[in-house]
Amino acid sequence: MATKEEILEQLKDGVINYKEDQVKEAAQGSLDAGFVPLEMIMDGLAAGMEVVGQLYERHEYFVPEVLMCADALYAGLAILRPHVPKAASGVNAQVVIGSIQGDVHDIGKNLVKMMFDVAGWDVHDLGRDVPLEKFVEEQMRTDSEVVAMSAMMTTTMLGMKKVIKMIKEKNPNVAIMLGGAPVTKDVANLFGADGYAESAGNAVAEGIRMIARLREMQKK
Amino acid sequence: MAPLTLTPKERVMRTFRREPIDTMAFFSGMGMVVMPAIQKLGYRFPLVHKDAEKMAWSAIESSRMFGFDSVVIPFDMTMESEAIGNTISLYENSEDILYPTIPQKMWSTMDQVNIPGNIMELGRLPLIPKAIGIIKKEAPELPIGVWQLGPFTQAGQVLELDILLKGVFKEKAKVEATLDKLTELCITIGQALQAAGADYITLREMGTGSDLLSPRTWKDVIQPRMRKILASWKSPKVLHICGATDLIIEMMADCGADAISVDIKNNLVETRKKLGNRVPIFGNFDVFALPCKEETTVEQAVAAIKKNIDGGVDAVWPGCDLWPDIKEANMRAIVQTAREYGSKPSACVGRL
Repeated sequence: MATKEEILEQLKDGVINYKEDQVKEAAQGSLDAGFVPLEMIMDGLAAGMEVVGQLYERHEYFVPEVLMCADALYAGLAILRPHVPKAASGVNAQVVIGSIQGDVHDIGKNLVKMMFDVAGWDVHDLGRDVPLEKFVEEQMRTDSEVVAMSAMMTTTMLGMKKVIKMIKEKNPNVAIMLGGAPVTKDVANLFGADGYAESAGNAVAEGIRMIARLREMQKK
Repeated sequence: MAPLTLTPKERVMRTFRREPIDTMAFFSGMGMVVMPAIQKLGYRFPLVHKDAEKMAWSAIESSRMFGFDSVVIPFDMTMESEAIGNTISLYENSEDILYPTIPQKMWSTMDQVNIPGNIMELGRLPLIPKAIGIIKKEAPELPIGVWQLGPFTQAGQVLELDILLKGVFKEKAKVEATLDKLTELCITIGQALQAAGADYITLREMGTGSDLLSPRTWKDVIQPRMRKILASWKSPKVLHICGATDLIIEMMADCGADAISVDIKNNLVETRKKLGNRVPIFGNFDVFALPCKEETTVEQAVAAIKKNIDGGVDAVWPGCDLWPDIKEANMRAIVQTAREYGSKPSACVGRL
């Protein structure tokens, strides 16, 4: 039978090299062997995605590769996540996420969503082409700590500013993340956002940094 | 500033032919319609996309109001997808400026892609030749720019983009076949618009920058199709790609376009160094920060355009669609700076 380290390596390698079947097999194997599912997620799947982020930043991987790695990660997550007791994840946080009205692009949004899924957040995914008010309503309904919005085009980006204003007026403590090709740090600051990512791959890198921090915190 | 001696059309067409001009042109190959013009005409934004008269006059008035050296039609990216059979959202009830989108695509696999033979007769596509006719008659001084999305970008309008992106590795033959069909679509429509009287055409393969695809994939999958499309169109023709282009700029210059266009993510100075005066370079000016952003002063906009010209462009040309809700003072100052600061020769175009 494989050791814990071997299974973690299989999960990690399966994500990095987008081998869905290997990830599924290793995930199931880890459950059969009685290893801790959260550890498999964080030190196997998420650790693999961390390497994917580095490969993207070094221009070795591009978005197609990242999407395939994400598929492999989700294949493992689908098996492992149901076995993680809510209390064990150490996270009790919620995020509202969506692509803004007028924008039907959602690749970046889905990659960021994956990071929240890995981290064990409750994700309220509004999809794409989401009317501005819907972000506000959903945040109020769920009392989510974070609202993450994506816009692929300059033409839709300005809608974000309105949403931030509406949300912050009602609840100044909500953290706002913006993402998408036209969103620069400057724009995010101007709109009053708390974080940003400028491309799908960059969103992955940002999300991975968040998860890496989470992993460090859990180790302490 | 010396008086202008050329008409906008002469200035633009001479720029493409690399003949001396009076001063640098301000024009675009992408959307350049602005709200002050639409409002002056009494139109609503959603309606300028579906009426040839409104489309033509919005374009003409935008250019005349601010002194742009061309008109560009159409304004939205859904015409082909709609003509194929998809339903669009026009956001007619929204008070915001929202371009039409395709909320749901009717095809879910690459096998389903099938382009109708009579595409130019379908959906709103017949509006474009009609609008070209109106502009030719009403504004003969302005050159007419049209554009087509490249096959990879168009694929994202008829299919979910992640199918294509992952397919590049997993189902390459299907991706190639899909792109071939969309390449033919692009050629057919481009040729039809040129036959209708368009003066220049821009191939916008926007979604293929190196923040999305690797340079190797670009060379392998995208470049052959760029060459095929551009070879099938008459000059002048421009190749535009959004996002990260530093790693593919030399390949872009080797596709048969008369000029290449990039956005703000391109390192313009390096690009000019790499390409020398092989090909005119347009773009790289920030379409949000300079003309639209509330906080940008006229002085800042002017300084940025000077930097753009110093960086080596051969025309002041927005790096993407000009966002319609411009600040009038900034927009006028940007055009004025192109005229005044652009009076000296650029890398590829001399002065009279």
